[in-house]
Amino acid sequence: MKEALVILRDINAGYHSEAVLSDVNLEVYPDDFMGIIGPNGGGKTTLVKVILGLLPPFSGSVSFPRGKPAIGYLPQVSQIDKSFPITVKDLVNSGLKSRNNWFPQLTAGQRKQLHQMLDEAGLSAIASRPIGDLSGGQLQKALLCRALINRPGLLILDEPDTHVDKAFEQELYSWLRELNQEMAILLVSHDIGTISPLVKTIACVNGQLHYHPSNQLSEEVLKVYNCPVDLIAHGPIPHRVLKSHDHA
Amino acid sequence: MLTGPFPTGYLNRTTMRDLLLVFEYQFFQNAVMAAILTSIIAAMVGTYVVSRKIVFIAGGVTHASFGGIGMAYFFGINPFLGAAVFAVLSSTGIEWISGRGKVREDSAIAILWSLGMALGIIFVFMTPGYTPNLLSFLFGNILSVGRSELYLLGAFCLVTIAVFAVFFRPILYTAFDPEFAKVMGIRVAFFRYLMSVVIALAIVFSIRSLGIILVLSIFTLPQITAMLFTRNFAFIMPLASLWGITGSLSGLLASYIMDIPAAASIIFFLTLQFLLIRLIVTLRMLMLRKLSQKPVKG
Repeated sequence: MKEALVILRDINAGYHSEAVLSDVNLEVYPDDFMGIIGPNGGGKTTLVKVILGLLPPFSGSVSFPRGKPAIGYLPQVSQIDKSFPITVKDLVNSGLKSRNNWFPQLTAGQRKQLHQMLDEAGLSAIASRPIGDLSGGQLQKALLCRALINRPGLLILDEPDTHVDKAFEQELYSWLRELNQEMAILLVSHDIGTISPLVKTIACVNGQLHYHPSNQLSEEVLKVYNCPVDLIAHGPIPHRVLKSHDHA
Repeated sequence: MLTGPFPTGYLNRTTMRDLLLVFEYQFFQNAVMAAILTSIIAAMVGTYVVSRKIVFIAGGVTHASFGGIGMAYFFGINPFLGAAVFAVLSSTGIEWISGRGKVREDSAIAILWSLGMALGIIFVFMTPGYTPNLLSFLFGNILSVGRSELYLLGAFCLVTIAVFAVFFRPILYTAFDPEFAKVMGIRVAFFRYLMSVVIALAIVFSIRSLGIILVLSIFTLPQITAMLFTRNFAFIMPLASLWGITGSLSGLLASYIMDIPAAASIIFFLTLQFLLIRLIVTLRMLMLRKLSQKPVKG
């Protein structure tokens, strides 16, 4: 039996004593590629914040049996202030470990890491541009570089497919598939239709969490999970018969 | 070295010789130094303030400090000490409130803003006798900055440069995306509070020259002027220093030539400078666009 990367046990969490998540259990393994879906306000981002340690849960525990891995985090792009005067270079650099990352001048090692990362993403040409000049796709790419530059064991992406065009979305997904060879990925999305062929497993979050050990979901199952997500817009979803769950 | 009274020079009487003469006065030399040092301090701190879009917080802290000035008069202590205590307390207080997210931050700032002014007025009113220099706190008095004050200003300028040089990246990253910075292990709360103390002190040091009512502009105008050229945080700071110095020195000189209050003149010139540069930048952009649209002759 392989050892989990992250284990969540009986998590109750929320804001100002108002619970958003209740009795959530989840295990994330090193080769996981998990889609986290659910309606707005269902607690997807809250779950991410608990895993990241940004939001201490009311009760329950978050543990890292293999020791705390480096975590790469891509927040929702709406949280980013695009008018802030920061360059792509400095943005990506902010994903490096904070130790020795203080002074304006970078060390030779940090510069090398930075250039490798920017090359890999094809952002070298715009490294000195302020983020306000970037397209939606370029900004997502730069934010993803910031999440990846530390070579994380776990990558958490919160709605990476908003404000980007279809071409970038395809590029992003093939990149993620490649990255999954090296790291576990948690992908938060409200758009099950597009991520379904990409992810290996699915967690439905709507107050509670239902883990689904496959990437194929039908509308009936979503109903059983109490997880109203729109399936229709993306054509037929492969159907699979599932055993029933006791929560309704 | 001349020590006579300040020559009131009107525009029609001023010659170039008069203009140069003024630099031989000790008080004018001090004013020039104060303008330069204040410009550098405000340029760095203001870059942080403008980038984080917390100009309103800086305004609240500025006005709250008047409460400290009034109280200091009443108890007979140094007004700047009172202002510093009130500014630091209100600045860190706003940081604390915004971190808890239970009170509307903008309302809290408005309350501090007017409460500070109210306390200041009450205490000044209750202080028996004459309250010297009260107006200079409201409108600034850069021409009366003394040597010892200049040394203090210089020392604080060095401290500000040191803070930004040593903690440049954590300060930038917590300002830009505090949540991500926290994930990366940066002590976000420490840097937020450090910066709120630096902001408060920078404001109090600038009030001496520019006054409570006018001080906010030196924390914003040079920065938005610099941002016409660059949107790189590290480059905005030195460029804003430059624009702060050119604007405030021309304002200072104009105040002497035209015999108008120095602080108001400085603010006027900072604004004029911004508008002029903005106009030039816009015209240049239009010209470049026109050039690039010209059909190529074959």
